[in-house]
Amino acid sequence: MTLSAYLPILLLIIISTIFAVASIFVSSKLAPSRWTFAKRLPYECGIVPEQSDERERFPVKFYLVAMLFIIFDIETVFLYPWAVVYQELAVFGLIEMVVFIVILLAAYVYVWRRGGLEWAE
Amino acid sequence: MPEFTPPQVQLAGVAPEITLLVSALILLIVDTLIGERPNRWFLPVMATAGLVLAGAFAASTWGDNELQLSGAIALDGFASFVKISLAVFGLLTVWVGRDYLVRDALEDSEFYALVLLAVAGMMLMAAAADLIIMFLALETFSIALYVLVAFKSGSLTSQESAMKYFLLGAFSSAFFLLGIALTYGAVGSTALYGGRDPVSEPGIASFLSTSPTANTGLLVLATGFLIIGLGFKIAAVPFHAWTPDAYQGAPSPITGFMAAGTKFAAFAAILRLFDATLFSLRAEWRPLVIAIAVATMIIGSVLAVVQDDIKRLLAYSSIAHAGFILTAVIAANDRGVSGALFYLATYGLAVLGAFAVVSVVSGQDEARVRLAGYKGLFFDHPALAVALTLFLLSLAGVPVTAGFFGKLVVFGAAVQASYSWVVAIGVITSAIAAFFYLKIMVRMYLEESEGESSPLPIGRLAAGVIAITAVATIGFGVVPGPLLRAAEDATMFFQPAPETGQAPLGG
Amino acid sequence: MNDLPFLDLTLFLPLVGALVMVLIPKRWEALLRLAALVVTTATFVASLGVLASFESGTPGFQQVTELSWIPEWGIGYITGVDGVSLWMIMLTTFLMPLCILTSWTIKTQVKPYFILLLTLETGMLGVFSSLDMFLFYVFWEAVLVPMYFLIGMWGHGRRVYAAMKFFLFTLAGSLFMLLSILYLYFASQGSAAAPTFDYRSLVGTPLALEVQILLFLGFFASFAVKVPLVPLHTWLPDAHTEAPTAGSVMLAAVLLKMGAYGLIRFGIAFFPDAARLLAPAIIALAIVGILYGALIAIVQHDVKRLVAYSSVAHLGFVVLGLFVGTIQGMSGGILQMLNHGLSTGALFLLVGALYDRRHTREISEFGGLARSVPVLAGIFLIVVLSSLGLPGLNGFAGEFLVLLATYQSYGWWVIPATFGIVLAAIYLLWAYQRVFHGAVSIEANRNLEDFRMREYVMFVPLVALIVAIGVYPKPFLERIEPSAKQIVRQLNDASVIPETRGLAEAP
Repeated sequence: MTLSAYLPILLLIIISTIFAVASIFVSSKLAPSRWTFAKRLPYECGIVPEQSDERERFPVKFYLVAMLFIIFDIETVFLYPWAVVYQELAVFGLIEMVVFIVILLAAYVYVWRRGGLEWAE
Repeated sequence: MPEFTPPQVQLAGVAPEITLLVSALILLIVDTLIGERPNRWFLPVMATAGLVLAGAFAASTWGDNELQLSGAIALDGFASFVKISLAVFGLLTVWVGRDYLVRDALEDSEFYALVLLAVAGMMLMAAAADLIIMFLALETFSIALYVLVAFKSGSLTSQESAMKYFLLGAFSSAFFLLGIALTYGAVGSTALYGGRDPVSEPGIASFLSTSPTANTGLLVLATGFLIIGLGFKIAAVPFHAWTPDAYQGAPSPITGFMAAGTKFAAFAAILRLFDATLFSLRAEWRPLVIAIAVATMIIGSVLAVVQDDIKRLLAYSSIAHAGFILTAVIAANDRGVSGALFYLATYGLAVLGAFAVVSVVSGQDEARVRLAGYKGLFFDHPALAVALTLFLLSLAGVPVTAGFFGKLVVFGAAVQASYSWVVAIGVITSAIAAFFYLKIMVRMYLEESEGESSPLPIGRLAAGVIAITAVATIGFGVVPGPLLRAAEDATMFFQPAPETGQAPLGG
Repeated sequence: MNDLPFLDLTLFLPLVGALVMVLIPKRWEALLRLAALVVTTATFVASLGVLASFESGTPGFQQVTELSWIPEWGIGYITGVDGVSLWMIMLTTFLMPLCILTSWTIKTQVKPYFILLLTLETGMLGVFSSLDMFLFYVFWEAVLVPMYFLIGMWGHGRRVYAAMKFFLFTLAGSLFMLLSILYLYFASQGSAAAPTFDYRSLVGTPLALEVQILLFLGFFASFAVKVPLVPLHTWLPDAHTEAPTAGSVMLAAVLLKMGAYGLIRFGIAFFPDAARLLAPAIIALAIVGILYGALIAIVQHDVKRLVAYSSVAHLGFVVLGLFVGTIQGMSGGILQMLNHGLSTGALFLLVGALYDRRHTREISEFGGLARSVPVLAGIFLIVVLSSLGLPGLNGFAGEFLVLLATYQSYGWWVIPATFGIVLAAIYLLWAYQRVFHGAVSIEANRNLEDFRMREYVMFVPLVALIVAIGVYPKPFLERIEPSAKQIVRQLNDASVIPETRGLAEAP
């Protein structure tokens, strides 16, 4: 295997870089830009943003919930492919999945008992 | 669609790791179910049980020589030696940690669980026969350590250390990943060994042995990135910047654990990767490793001289020690591997002992970590001072301590490999290093303590750990034979069946 | 007589004594002193056994004990004596009880003090009796630690600085020796089946001249610091001056001899070609040392510092004798090692006795002491005369032989060396005159207590021996000569350069 085999990749990197830079440049030149007050407001899901203090602090619990959601979400994601090939994997797959779910269950119990799911103190 | 055949489930190789993971989970669950109690003695007991069991599993596979789990896990003497040592390090950490946590009212089940997980990751590092597994192991113990470094939840320095450690650690992981990717590009696999047929079962070793004429340029490039990733973990210059900060901010028992365990695990990976798998590429990686070793020895020793915080001082000393051990890696011979193992095991014990003393002396909230705090320690607490002296002498490599014999075997290996000039630098930096160990001793013995000597509460567990490590430091210094023999047996890396004719070790 | 292993008994009695003393509570200071005295006296008696079973007239090693220690590395516990080491061992065991007696005045930290002194004795005896390079190095370094603490904890004035300087100078030197030992170890692989640290097998290891010179310099770095040869002597005045009396005695009488002993035992025996080549340079250094030490001694105003610089000069004579390459020179040099140990040891003990009475070492603070302490003054005079080589006392025989040999081999080089003796007469007698004669100018000097019982016990045997060697040196010389002859033969004729070049290039 020689380095020359990677030449196409190098070319691709160069072309994509040129394309990205060029398209941003060209669109900024060609596009009509007429600023209005509403356009310059920060966009936030239809809510008019608070004017007083932009650096509003969110409770850290938002992040905690988000993280917990992702962890347990992945569990579900893993269950889908297993369900598709359930027949082929048979007992082996079942055992593997049970191990997986038990570990997550332990995590769940831990989070629950430590108060990770409670919002108010 | 091809018929699915479930892979063979062989758990012997990873039994210690699984034991530790399960113990960690049980520990967490039991603690949350039992709830708050004034004295949670069962936590260290459970952690101890898990570590002992893991060590026993590792010992039971002593002498095996095979690959398991589709060639991802090596089951060889090398892995067993490292795993047993790591289990011991874990035990000592848990015991010192218990006293420390109780004193500072920080005790939580997470501490023990994270230590167990970190040990599991480190063990996996030693057994990994696939770069992906190695990365997995690296991340497992690194993430556990990031949290452990920040375990002094009220302390800003602890948080800061953890943040620095985490950011730089993540950065180095990226390099390691890049190295893996390039290796895959060069070899077509991330397996270290691979099968006998390099086409159907590719691996680095089989790639190198069966296609000697192959273009290894990309693999050499990959090697460079792998060195960066692992060099970070062993705190080699120029990837050492995190070390003093992380060591300073972390709770002292964890600092000791990082110095002993992280270094051992990362060096285990380095030894397996460079001295076994990439042995035939040594002409390419040696110059790089030599440069790193020389820089590490010099920078570590010289910068330690000006420290006046004992944890920072020991951090720089640990950098210097990484350099000394790298001389054994450079040697790339049997003596080098066994020497490095011996060195790492005895260094680990000495440094754990030293940090056990530090965590006792530092007192509530680690208020007393300046060197000035050690003034007159001998007159107030002779036993602690004598123990710390012993550890420092071992780190300095003075005879009758294990550290001396470690230095002898490591330097000896490099001399044997005709790298006497690297050893000469090692010798000079050792002399510089002796200076700052002496500095601590001067404080303890030759200066009067300032003000009132406050009584130090010395927990029974911490005292036990100090005693064990002190006895081991002297014991392995006077009778290094058994440990050395074990280390020499452990130089038997997994060898792909002899027909391929590739000896993993030469010299 | 040969049934009892007197040598090993001598070697380990002090260490065992020290370990037993650890168990004695530190309040019982009288018992601790007594125990130390009993142990060192018993050691002396055991060493008399070594002397009695010593067969004069044979050059080789006698009373050899050989045990396996770390077979993996070819390390054994091998001890033995020959004509060179015999007198060094006797000197050590003889002076040690005197050092214990002079330490009766130590009032602080009595327990660690005596434990360290006993440990030091085992270390020093080990250096002289080891026939295994590893064992030798262990003892060599083991001397360092107790001495560091003796100077640092019980010394005077700038003790911390002196202790640190002593430790770092010596350690830096000995690490280079370690590197050389390691190289030699692997070089021995060719001649023997497996590499070994056994001194007897290492002698005659083939080495190319360039390699020999480098390795010789490695050893030389360590020994020249210890001897000390100018310009590596700067640690000596500090260490000798600041150390407690017993420490100064041991430094001057024994530790310096370790350097000279090492030069002939290892420097010449392992690297005869290099030693031959470098002999003129070493002789030049020795002569510079003789003159430099003497000149600096003249201007000292501190008695102890004066004696310290006189050591630099006297050791110059020793080294001169060892390297001129004749049997008289070698015998004289070795005898002079013994003589200097006795004379300078006695001088330091006397200075210690003065210090105990007046708590100063400034020459200007004394004057006219002969009237208040006539016995002390008389003994001082005898020792001073012995030190400057008056015929009939011990110093004469050694220095005369050395000068004779220098004249035979190097002709006019003898002139500066002889000048050294004249200078010695000047600084010693002048200092004596200022301290003991003249008018009593300071009131405190008028009513000083003369020798007590304890001091008579110390000095009577010492003076007896000084006179005995001066009057009848034959029993001493006849035990030295066979070994001296062998070493001279090595220095003059032996060659270990391999026939075909390059054979021993790489170990």
